Amino acid sequence: MRHLRLLACVLPVTAMLAGCDENLSDLTGPTPNLAPNFASIQKEIFSTQDSSGRQSCIQCHTSVGRTPAAGLNLVEGASFAALVGRPSVQKSGETLVIPGDPDNSYLVKKLEGATGIAGLRMPRNNGPFLTEGQMLVIRRWIKEGAANN
Amino acid sequence: MKSFVSISALALAVALGVAPLAVAAPLNDPKDALKKTDSAATAPADAGPAETGPGDADPVDAVADAEQDDDPDTDVNRAQPDFTIVGLPTTLRLARHKSAFRMTHRFGRPLGEGSLTNLAEDFFGFDSGANIGFEYRYGLFKSTQIAVHRTNNRTIQFLLQRQVKGQDDTFPLSIDVFGSAEGTNNFRDSYSPGLGVVVSREFTDRAAVYAQPFWVNNTNPLPGELVDDNNSVMLGLGARVRLTASVYGVFEVTPRVNGYDPGDHQMSFGIEKRAGGHNFQINFSNAFGTTFGQMARGGNDDWYIGFNLSRKFY
Repeated sequence: MRHLRLLACVLPVTAMLAGCDENLSDLTGPTPNLAPNFASIQKEIFSTQDSSGRQSCIQCHTSVGRTPAAGLNLVEGASFAALVGRPSVQKSGETLVIPGDPDNSYLVKKLEGATGIAGLRMPRNNGPFLTEGQMLVIRRWIKEGAANN
Repeated sequence: MKSFVSISALALAVALGVAPLAVAAPLNDPKDALKKTDSAATAPADAGPAETGPGDADPVDAVADAEQDDDPDTDVNRAQPDFTIVGLPTTLRLARHKSAFRMTHRFGRPLGEGSLTNLAEDFFGFDSGANIGFEYRYGLFKSTQIAVHRTNNRTIQFLLQRQVKGQDDTFPLSIDVFGSAEGTNNFRDSYSPGLGVVVSREFTDRAAVYAQPFWVNNTNPLPGELVDDNNSVMLGLGARVRLTASVYGVFEVTPRVNGYDPGDHQMSFGIEKRAGGHNFQINFSNAFGTTFGQMARGGNDDWYIGFNLSRKFY
């Protein structure tokens, strides 16, 4: 009986603490609202510059008033179709976003400045680049299937 | 290979250092067999600082001492002299309202790095920075103990451990259950609760072996939204063997059998000397973890020296 009483004390504490994980916002730095879903990435990364001084992607990757850089239109409403499963215009043989495979997605390679990319690491003009935490969020979205969520 | 040579040389040095103690130990050995129910004048010197002098004749103290003397949990358990093996818990019971302290160090210099001379110049790693832990343990009720362990990366772990069944003539095992909770940043962030069972088997007063399945939540340092596995299920295995009257060899390994399991499984071995209520242990590990969450994060290919010092306050 005493064992059960002890268990009755320990289990609720365990359950309560199990919900107290690290805060995602502690990791994503200049974009504290960034989450691993496409709507959030569109809003926080593609469409908006952040407090680090990083430029928004749509400054160049837009069809508004110009031809999108590298043929990639990241304006809201067009960006998902332009990214997921689409070949890179800049480098043949590469796919911009391969659902479930962030390591081989060209978008990730361009944002991380991987060796072998064509042209500059993004955002261009030598940064500021995305932080490691921001990249982890983008990678997670791709790994989870790159859904239009 | 270089690492193995370094560790062997160091173990030899430690063994040589311990040898004179081991020779002297049999002189104390018969005292271990004495129970504290003996008079104060014959209290075993090797059984901790429970001695009382002839001048301490306060009747209140005498009653308290008599009650304490009746508690078998204050007797020296020669198969399980300490509350931990290296990092994993044992089933040693802490007497009610008694306490114990433990200090752990895991030095950061890989033993396989550089030459043996270079290693000796660094005093076998003792010159390097260390992951340091302080632990205080208290006997809350009979068979129930709590502990708080803080490491110098500001992680604090609380532990509640209770013996469900003790080994005796009718049952061959001791079984403890435990619940733990650790948090980083002085228990303000990133909580990792854990639950587990410790099963032990003592072989006379010569050895004890352990198997302890346990689960720890939030073991992945990344937020749950970004990871596949944020729990670890581990199966701690360990042993302590008494080599001479008061010198022990210890070994433990903590394979992660499910969930988050980066790097190598944490493994440790060491040699220790019991002296009264103290335990002095030199150990070698492939990781620095002394809390359950840290153990879940595994180790690497290198080996590191460390030590545990513990003291029972009874």
